Amino acid sequence: MHTDEAINAYITGQLLDGEKYQYDPIDRHGPALVELTLPIVHLEGAKKFSELTESQLRLVPVLVGSATVLLFAAAVEIFGFIPSLVAALLFAFAPLPVYYNRYFIHETLFVAATLGLILSGTRALLKNSLTSAALAGFFAALMLACKETATLHFFALGLAVAIGWRLRANGKIPSLKIFIAAAITFLAAGILLFTWFGQNWSALVDLLRAIPHLAARAGGEGHQKPFWYYLVLLAGGWSGSLLLGLGLAGTYFATRSFAKLTLAIYALLIYAVYCVIPYKTPWLALNFWLPLALLIGFAVERLWFASGKLSVRTAILIGCGVLGLLIAHDTRQRVFVFPADGEKNPYAYAHTTEDLLGLPVRLEELAQQNKITNPRIAVIAKDAWPLPWYLRKFSNVGYWQPSQATGEADFLITTTDVSDQLAERLKNFRPDFFGVRPNVLLILWSSPNTNSSHE
Amino acid sequence: MKKLFTLIASATLLTANFVFADDLVPLKTDLPKPLFVGTPVQIDVPNLEPKLTKWPEFSVPAGSVNLAKAKKVTASDSDPVVGTLDLVTDGDKEGDEGSWVELAPGKQWVQIDLEKDANIYALVVWHFHNQSRVYRDVVVQISDDPTFSKDVTTIYDNSAAGKDRPYLESFYGKIIDAKGVKGRYVRLYSNGNTTNKLNHYIEVEVFGKPAA
Repeated sequence: MHTDEAINAYITGQLLDGEKYQYDPIDRHGPALVELTLPIVHLEGAKKFSELTESQLRLVPVLVGSATVLLFAAAVEIFGFIPSLVAALLFAFAPLPVYYNRYFIHETLFVAATLGLILSGTRALLKNSLTSAALAGFFAALMLACKETATLHFFALGLAVAIGWRLRANGKIPSLKIFIAAAITFLAAGILLFTWFGQNWSALVDLLRAIPHLAARAGGEGHQKPFWYYLVLLAGGWSGSLLLGLGLAGTYFATRSFAKLTLAIYALLIYAVYCVIPYKTPWLALNFWLPLALLIGFAVERLWFASGKLSVRTAILIGCGVLGLLIAHDTRQRVFVFPADGEKNPYAYAHTTEDLLGLPVRLEELAQQNKITNPRIAVIAKDAWPLPWYLRKFSNVGYWQPSQATGEADFLITTTDVSDQLAERLKNFRPDFFGVRPNVLLILWSSPNTNSSHE
Repeated sequence: MKKLFTLIASATLLTANFVFADDLVPLKTDLPKPLFVGTPVQIDVPNLEPKLTKWPEFSVPAGSVNLAKAKKVTASDSDPVVGTLDLVTDGDKEGDEGSWVELAPGKQWVQIDLEKDANIYALVVWHFHNQSRVYRDVVVQISDDPTFSKDVTTIYDNSAAGKDRPYLESFYGKIIDAKGVKGRYVRLYSNGNTTNKLNHYIEVEVFGKPAA
């Protein structure tokens, strides 16, 4: 499990263990993912943190990702059948969404909510529908309750709608009622979600505290990447460049209707915003993969209707088939062959190495050898994630910062850069290295009487 | 009388040893360029190898050369996942892709045929150095027997059975004291690493002199 997944798993686990939800504006994002996860893992039979499994947790993004594919059916009315079908197929089979639709992070739910906002918002504007406006307000609140960066999308969508409306609405003015309906549901749903349905009102104040932190985070915090990072990421593999080319063509063809033009402007704006922000991770690319999938659909639609000749349409179908094979290859490589290998798979970003799975196994083995039924484990590290997830089955684990004095322990787990104040304590212990992430190692220190083996 | 004879014999042997012993010179080799800022190891614990911050001082008899250069390499995995076995002794120690051979997961070995018996004084191995890693169960043996079924001398062992400690890979490589052991074949074992279960070799240098 990736560190970010482990943090979300830990939050879910604490709630399962009876703790109350506390919104943490520093690095933990909004409560929506956990609010959705808790009932699902309950249904799956999980009763406490130590019983949770990766599959139980990852079922949540799988379900949300599947719902996103189905949600494209609602896009037919707005964007047309072919673009919606193409986008749904891309979301169902392309490597980026398939990979991250199994990651227990907020992105999948955030993208689903964004699609919901785009569809209901467009429908509300075009049909003056109060129901659609209310839905748009709900989806916007859901986005914010997933990730505070929703505000960037609100800005991009707002600007895109303003430009699209000016260019394609022929002077019509949207009704004020739909804005009021959207605002009311946004506020109501937002308050309900953030306060954990009225139980934690301080979350609303904490939300404001998230702003300076997010501003600092945008600066990079170790995840700085060049402007063109997402372009290289999306163009990678056998199918990436072709898909990007089609997306670009789709942008050109999207100028004829308000909905399509607005989507194209939104795609360009949100792409530009994410490129300008130094902080970049591969899963953030899902945010522009959403409009890109529809833009690719616009290009395919345009090609399909360019000529009614059987030969031309046969050629288009063959081309789509070949593209499908290229996509299948990329999905196989990134999702199934090298799912956690950061050297061969750009999506496996700072992923937890397979090696760490051996740490709890080794601890159990050593405890058994030493006849320790409930081993006391001291973790001394500045950043111990994702250990709380991997050590969840041990009930006696303590976490200390390197400067703190630890309690008595049967086993110690340290990073490689803790101060040498532990030296006296560790001088007779055997070190076993474990990889956590690329370039991050931990050392398990065990009594010299135990046998060190990784067989 | 017997005591006097023993004393004279010992003194003669000591003098002979002093006169005929090889002069020791510092072991030198060309280092590759570093590819990452290393994982620091600040814990001063006797059973943990410190991270190298400079090329360590290590002496070998004058005239010792890298006997492994361009010599034939065989391995337990005859069809490496990435690269070819000749990369182990081709002189290229850089850490970029194309410089290493990747062997199958689990316990694997590579073996260098020095073509003649030699007195081996030091061995330097670079498994992988574009990421901070520890290779597991590293064992180095020397033998006259290409099958390593007899006359095997183990010069390094950080597996469960050995007394050596695990170490962090770096562009300095790892110097192993071979103490002048005589043999023609050098075999290096490993058992995956802290990133994956695969085994890698960028370069192995064997410093020694052909046996008289």
